[in-house]
Amino acid sequence: MHSLSRRLLISVALPLVLFSAITMLVLDRGFRTLSERSLQELLDAEMVALIAAADPLPGGGYAPAAQALEPRLETPQSGVYAQIRSRAHAWRSPSTAGVTGDFGPPLRHGERSLTYADFDHERVAIESRAIQFEEGAAESGTYTFSVAVSLAPYEQQLWQFRRQLLGWFSGLLLALLVTLAALLRWVLAPLRRMEREIHAVEEGRSDTLGAGYPRELAGVAGNLNALLTGERKRVGRYRDTLGNLAHSLKTPLAVMRASLPADASAVTLGGEIDRMKGIIEHQLKRAAATGGALLGAAPVEVAQVAAELRGALLKVYADKDLALELAIAPGSAFIGDRGDLLEMLGNLLDNACKWCRSRVRLTASADPQAPARQRLLLTVEDDGPGIDAGDRDRVLGRGVRADENVPGHGIGLAMVRDTIELYGGALAIEASGLGGARFSVQLPGR
Amino acid sequence: MRILVVEDEATLREMLKLRFGEAGFTVDVARDGDEGLFAALEYPLDVAIVDLGLPGVPGMELIRRVRAAAKTYPILILTARDNWQEKVEGLQAGADDYVAKPFQFEEVLARVQALLRRAGGWASPQLKCGPVVLDTRAQTVAVRGAPVELTTFEYRILEHLMLRAGEVISKGELTERLYDQDFERDSNVIEVLIGRLRRKLDPEDALQPIETLRGRGYRFSLPRDAGP
Repeated sequence: MHSLSRRLLISVALPLVLFSAITMLVLDRGFRTLSERSLQELLDAEMVALIAAADPLPGGGYAPAAQALEPRLETPQSGVYAQIRSRAHAWRSPSTAGVTGDFGPPLRHGERSLTYADFDHERVAIESRAIQFEEGAAESGTYTFSVAVSLAPYEQQLWQFRRQLLGWFSGLLLALLVTLAALLRWVLAPLRRMEREIHAVEEGRSDTLGAGYPRELAGVAGNLNALLTGERKRVGRYRDTLGNLAHSLKTPLAVMRASLPADASAVTLGGEIDRMKGIIEHQLKRAAATGGALLGAAPVEVAQVAAELRGALLKVYADKDLALELAIAPGSAFIGDRGDLLEMLGNLLDNACKWCRSRVRLTASADPQAPARQRLLLTVEDDGPGIDAGDRDRVLGRGVRADENVPGHGIGLAMVRDTIELYGGALAIEASGLGGARFSVQLPGR
Repeated sequence: MRILVVEDEATLREMLKLRFGEAGFTVDVARDGDEGLFAALEYPLDVAIVDLGLPGVPGMELIRRVRAAAKTYPILILTARDNWQEKVEGLQAGADDYVAKPFQFEEVLARVQALLRRAGGWASPQLKCGPVVLDTRAQTVAVRGAPVELTTFEYRILEHLMLRAGEVISKGELTERLYDQDFERDSNVIEVLIGRLRRKLDPEDALQPIETLRGRGYRFSLPRDAGP
């Protein structure tokens, strides 16, 4: 029940089906009453005609005159049968020829009955009346007139009616449901559009929802847009504040560091200052990492960020005769914050440049089969001494609080690790084909 | 070597002035971006240190304006934010290296010396021209392996000439870089110092490391050795 349109369809279809069923029942009952009444009328008419036509027979008993007989009573197995019967005599209409059937027991004077019976395999309704033609006659002078009418045509009519009824109602129901589904599609189209646009914002293909929503949704779309813009501004402000905080904390530390005398007494104090610097750096940077796709932020082209960093690092490591190769698959992009990517890649590349002899290589590619948050694959490798398998966990600072690391050694990598974790990505250290270490990073992207 | 320090934090600025002075530099200081920009454009500098979080003209803008004015001396940025965004922007604006605050002075000095070396086309901190070797870190000079005792001024002149070995450097330029702006200048002092340097480096007058080009200046003429 997680779809609005399914809910609506079910909630409308159920009463509709129930309503149809009740209507069909009522119509069916009405039809049956009607046909029973017409059957009764037929029986009554046949009875009256039979009584009127009955003449006494010379040998006793009564029988209708042959020419007065209704044609259906003369035709064998016509579906209309009659019987006149007293204790001594009995007459059956010619239509009963070849039909075995019991019209029921004789009645006493003045009695009437309506019963149902089977003549062979034919269901019939039987009306019987007991009549005395002479006043005060004995029971032997009581004649039971019976008329039987086959129910087959009525039942056939009934079933035909029911079939038609069912056909019409099913058709109607189907048409209604189809119309309803189409209406729902139309009514819910703006919701689907909103869903699509939110998805686009999530993937960074657009930065706000479009205009032109119906009145009921315009407010929601407007609020979402305001939220998106506000959130982006807030993150920006937050970062500025953290940057300013770092600045205003570190400058006094720099002053303290600068004021230390250059002798052994300053070593402890210097160490403490470095530790404070490490804490500030790590905690503030971690707080500044957004960790997660910032809604509406465009995907970050890895190639561009990599080129910027390459330019910067070639300047910083100008002494090293550095070959910094970039192998970026076209279109590789990171879904998340540009500053976060810059920090992660900056730290990894800086680290590689620090340890390499002369070669550093950055590759980027997309793995569409990977889980959504790990589609962008980045590797940074160098031709330096590498990292022993046993040291890899320690280098990443797993299980070690980053501010306990030696400044400048572990903070950068611990920072990278933390940010990758925030994004739900993955980080591994392997041996590189270049001879040194290879850091492979998986992040949300394409 | 003449260095400009643009830093708004007074203690830090004074410390840098003092320590760079001790390390043999002529130091100009500026308290904010506007002062810094004026000094950076007007003074004959060899290197500048610029804090990015400056009042007045922002540090990044200062660097851009200096580069736009076709000044090529190396610039070292000091950053307290220490994020790659700022480092990349600073380096793109035209800076050559960065140091994150808080720093140890020795690190800043090492970076500045490396920048100066690189600006002169030297790959190693030891400047070697034939038998003359000048170590910028230890501030020592040796000829054919034998150490040569130099005074501060003598060392500064030799360092300047050797960093740009092969180039002609005018007497005026040497004076400007050796003395503070308002110092009473006397170009005879330079001639005297060059004369003393020649005697100390080349007592037998066999190497003739420093040429005099009449009316144009001086040139350290021994060929540079290739890097190690």
